[in-house]
Amino acid sequence: MEKEKRNLTGLWFMLPAIILVIVFFFIPVIMTIGISLTDMSSVTGFSAWKWVGFKNYIKIAQHPDSITNFIATLKYVSITLIFFNVGLGLLIAIATNHLKNSIGGFFRAAWLLPRITPPVVYVLMWSMLAADAPYGVINQLFRIPFGLSTTNWVPEYAFLFIVLVNGYIGASFGMIIFSSAIESIPKDIMISSLVDGASYSQRIRHIIIPQLRWPLLFVVTYQTLSLLTSFEYIMILTDGNFSTEVWSLWSYHKALNNYWGNFQYGFGAALAAVLVVVGTLLGIIYMKYFRFDALVQEPKIDEL
Amino acid sequence: MKKAIAVLLLALVALPVMASGSQEEAGGPETVKLSVWTREGGINHWRADLAVEAAEELNAQLKAEGSEISVEVEAYLDEGDWGNYKKKFSLAADAGEAPAIICSGHEDIPVWSRAGYIVPMGDSVQSVKALAPQFDDVIDSLWNASTWQNKVWGVPQDTEARPMYFSTTNLKKLGWDDARIAALPADMAEGRFTLDDLIATAKEAVNKGVVEPGYGYWHRPRKGGDFVQFYKAFGGDLYDAGQDKLIVDRDALVKFYDFQRRSVTEGVTPGKYIGTEWKIWHDVVSTNKALFWNGGTWMWADWAKNYAPGGEDTLWANVGFGYEPSGIRGEKGITLSHPLVYLVASEDASGNKHQDLATRLIALMSTTERNTRHAVESGHLGILKSQNDFDAYKDSKFLADVTYLLDNNFYQPNHVMYGLWFDAFWEGMVSAEQGDKTPEKAADDAIKVMKVEIEDQLIVR
Repeated sequence: MEKEKRNLTGLWFMLPAIILVIVFFFIPVIMTIGISLTDMSSVTGFSAWKWVGFKNYIKIAQHPDSITNFIATLKYVSITLIFFNVGLGLLIAIATNHLKNSIGGFFRAAWLLPRITPPVVYVLMWSMLAADAPYGVINQLFRIPFGLSTTNWVPEYAFLFIVLVNGYIGASFGMIIFSSAIESIPKDIMISSLVDGASYSQRIRHIIIPQLRWPLLFVVTYQTLSLLTSFEYIMILTDGNFSTEVWSLWSYHKALNNYWGNFQYGFGAALAAVLVVVGTLLGIIYMKYFRFDALVQEPKIDEL
Repeated sequence: MKKAIAVLLLALVALPVMASGSQEEAGGPETVKLSVWTREGGINHWRADLAVEAAEELNAQLKAEGSEISVEVEAYLDEGDWGNYKKKFSLAADAGEAPAIICSGHEDIPVWSRAGYIVPMGDSVQSVKALAPQFDDVIDSLWNASTWQNKVWGVPQDTEARPMYFSTTNLKKLGWDDARIAALPADMAEGRFTLDDLIATAKEAVNKGVVEPGYGYWHRPRKGGDFVQFYKAFGGDLYDAGQDKLIVDRDALVKFYDFQRRSVTEGVTPGKYIGTEWKIWHDVVSTNKALFWNGGTWMWADWAKNYAPGGEDTLWANVGFGYEPSGIRGEKGITLSHPLVYLVASEDASGNKHQDLATRLIALMSTTERNTRHAVESGHLGILKSQNDFDAYKDSKFLADVTYLLDNNFYQPNHVMYGLWFDAFWEGMVSAEQGDKTPEKAADDAIKVMKVEIEDQLIVR
């Protein structure tokens, strides 16, 4: 009885979050799936469309770009996630934690700069950095003075650039989460491990990393889904050219950005719906793999 | 206190009701708000500003007619790109918030008319010509661009040509004499100077050090209709008017992709070039750093004003232009024109009930004097027959010299699926030029995409 009441109270506390999830996730997902079953486009407008069943999904299956764009997405998400959003984030968090507080804080703040710079300005800085000779900082400072060949670096290494552009922003998210997690490791464990003769690297391996399991799960899950669906920096930098058309950008291009103005809302929605399914599946796999339930189980002390 | 608040609230609620009631009863003067959307500020500002000016004249006319209606124009210049501009209009139209008049490309006509966003101006060119003397004055061939399914949907606002420009100074350095340079535009027009010759000449200029490697030929650096010209130059067709279907011609597509790729492998275009910033592009072509470049007539005014040191005089001293050369020897050079048109939004799309006033406003924006002001300042070609005899137009040496290109121009098709055709066409070109795919593979893939997306609206040859 007591427990039921408590559950009900819990439900009340969750209500705002439940409403938000329904309004901003479930309803849009249902609408997206609904639109994906229609032939809605600029030609039909939002009133003269027809139901077409799974035609848009069949189109995806037949489309020559599906596999290419899927592989590009897989590569982009996994590389950015492993090397930057998690890898670099963790590296900065650990490194700055071993510095004096004020200096560490300064570096962490500096790493936030890409995130707080408006996307268009941030990407413009990258494209001017990489522009073809005689323009472009890379060419002017590091190639021309040494007599090395110059090029237009973004098209040349387009994939690397979209990973770098997104990675430098993504890294700061992991950095914040991991830093605060490291800070919250009890000081006595941290200090006593050194007193007991552990080296810094041993402490990182045996004390810090194991304590970061929960934040690691969170950052990996959250950033996978975020990378799957974010495309604005790629759009501004390459607009999907040079084999950088990731799935979410493809969906955007088809649904909302045709050069001569014919937007395929239905087909674009089907592409987005595929992304929702992939994201949901990945979320479930992560939860199982990282034993999410074990991490959030009720404290044992309550059972007494 | 409570009473006072109640009275205050009641008064606040009642006031607007009373106000609107009194207006209805009086049936007095009515102000019709007409918003006009156009794109690009800078040298193209007249597209919007002429509407404000024309509204004054329209109001004077309405007053003289004894009408109680007056027009108030809200002109809006969009600085974003075409894709976003069209998206903004589509979404606004669906929400019933579209402007009364929009200036856009003629290729939007089939899509927007099918969606019910715009209304036809008349059932035939003759009927539209009868609406206003300015419409009667419009160059006849331009009506083709705004006609779809036997109705006329828009009034041409401006047009242009897309020449192949060349640096006369660099050709001289290459050893060409004045007579040969002077004959080049005619050679381009008659198919004596082809796209193969262009690559060969550019290569020679690179080899002799006249221009830097990769600066022999610069095409448009970003997506745009210009590339269709080169597909046409190799004999490609776009549209079968009889069947109202789009066409893709594999042979021409492969040859066009191969031309783009060869320009890179021969070293006359940079290897990684697509996506180059526009500012860099304009700076290079307007300061004699390249030998050939394909651009639009509207760029001339921009270069003169913002890029070439010494302005238009420097351009005349260094730059020549002609048709885009054919890819086939003996075939005539061509150019793409892309007329912008003023379109009148439907009542459902815009809430405006006065389509007739919108049409009258467009007529007044299209007078010889006003359209010439836009044409001269922006480097666009005029749309009216009378402009040929209009001093201000004739005085613009560039417009006078370039207008002949319209003799052999073509338009992109007014077909609902053209946007999809074009995207596949463009993506294939990028992958071929970059060397990611062979021209054959890029063409086959582009055709596959077109088949999936355009379905039975496509004819593959």
